[in-house]
Amino acid sequence: MESNPGTTETRSNLTASDGGQVTAFESLQFTDEIHRLILAPTTINASSFTALVELPPPQAVELLHSPDSTKFIAAKPPNVEDFKGSFRFPSNTSLIEPDARFSVFSGEANNGNENRDSPVSKILNSNLEKAVKSEPAETESAQPLVSDPPVEKRRIKRKGRENKVKGSTKKSKTAVNESSEDAEKLPYVHVRARRGQATDSHSLAERARREKINARMKFLQELVPGCNKISGTALVLDEIINHVQSLQRQVEFLSMRLAAVNPRIDFNLDSVFTSESGSLMDSNFPGLVMPVMWPEVQGDGHRQQYQHQWNSDALQQPVWGREVHNNYITPEKSLLTYDSSANSVTLQANQLKMEL
Amino acid sequence: MRSPGPLKQKILKKWMMGLQRCKKNMSILERKRAIKLSADVAMASLRNDAAYWSRVLIAKAVNEANNKKIVQKVFTIRTAACNKRIIRSKKILKRARRRRKRTAQASSITKGLVRKRRRILKSLIPGGEFMNGVTLIEETLDYIISLRAQFDVMESLARFSENQSQ
Repeated sequence: MESNPGTTETRSNLTASDGGQVTAFESLQFTDEIHRLILAPTTINASSFTALVELPPPQAVELLHSPDSTKFIAAKPPNVEDFKGSFRFPSNTSLIEPDARFSVFSGEANNGNENRDSPVSKILNSNLEKAVKSEPAETESAQPLVSDPPVEKRRIKRKGRENKVKGSTKKSKTAVNESSEDAEKLPYVHVRARRGQATDSHSLAERARREKINARMKFLQELVPGCNKISGTALVLDEIINHVQSLQRQVEFLSMRLAAVNPRIDFNLDSVFTSESGSLMDSNFPGLVMPVMWPEVQGDGHRQQYQHQWNSDALQQPVWGREVHNNYITPEKSLLTYDSSANSVTLQANQLKMEL
Repeated sequence: MRSPGPLKQKILKKWMMGLQRCKKNMSILERKRAIKLSADVAMASLRNDAAYWSRVLIAKAVNEANNKKIVQKVFTIRTAACNKRIIRSKKILKRARRRRKRTAQASSITKGLVRKRRRILKSLIPGGEFMNGVTLIEETLDYIISLRAQFDVMESLARFSENQSQ
């Protein structure tokens, strides 16, 4: 992957953005938190962060005595990939790698890492609120850079965060006062709480958990067609339930159809593979293209196209007749290297035939 | 990264493997059951145990004695581990079920609605009753994607065989 070449880029980008946009004070805070958060670089992706971390080690010491400080929550090793996904404010696009939280298809230990998200996301949220001080000008200037990675789910998250940031400009000052008092009392670094919210660890944990759940719900909204316009968890969940139920029912009907078609269960595999390889690819692409590609999209500008395709596909699903192939060939050219994958599929078909 | 073409080919292949072990001359309902089961197991097996629901699905399939042949043909299963996990999760769930009473407020009403839907979702997804909120949503995502893949494969096969028979 591109973590190594991205490393040096990362450092230079961060310093550039720090000098240009974020005040030196803010940059110290960010990097200090990164330094504290990253106890052990567990994955390959962590290497780019360790480079970041090394940047201001002496400045990290200064932070201990600064009036604004952050709480060092728990010794859990953070999920670096998730950190990267949500750590967006310095608008460092090179930091963003495939959102491994949802690379369930790569079947990694992300499920094990998920429980480590909470301290990271907590601190990141507080970071964003802190940086709110040097503010609306920054968010505006950050936005053009931020819109570079056209990965939509990140954009959505970012907008959510920036809305919070803009909305809480007034609150930040009071928050500063609150935490400054805390800092003097205790030797830890504290999280800056939003105004009107409790600061004890339980509610922080709850808040982090809720935000995680909301982030997942956003993914679900994108996946299930027609959920984007709905606001409100209950209705979205309704749609999701309907979708899952309909999918399950369709699978049952299909299996019934298949049972009815064949008097005995043996499908003529050779002919299936030769003729189906083409149509399998055509009709199956829109179904899987979005979910499979989307966790791994990097700086890909076709996010909107994916979603649009899936929506149109869902509309056509009940009428999924013979003309499907024609509909999907042309749009897919822009999504994937159509010809090469066609060849790969036929190759696979031959391999499978030989294996069987 | 897996491109969808080979993925679906894999589903198809595993599905066929499972079906090959079926006895001949089954009734239509038996056939349908065998087809569906084999497709489900194939879909679940491709997740490589990365998703909870896949393990639950396979464990349930294995528990019914009739299905053993089909399931074992598709791949080797760690049934004991799956069953243990299910039992453990049930205990945890029972403990977690005790909650306080809440007053009737607007926020709690919406929360009640959401909770009701969550319960429904849990009943839909295999093994969903044992998951907490976060895991539930992740598993749902995973399940939806796999269901779609399965549906696509079955649909194309059905279409193809119908074309052939005409």
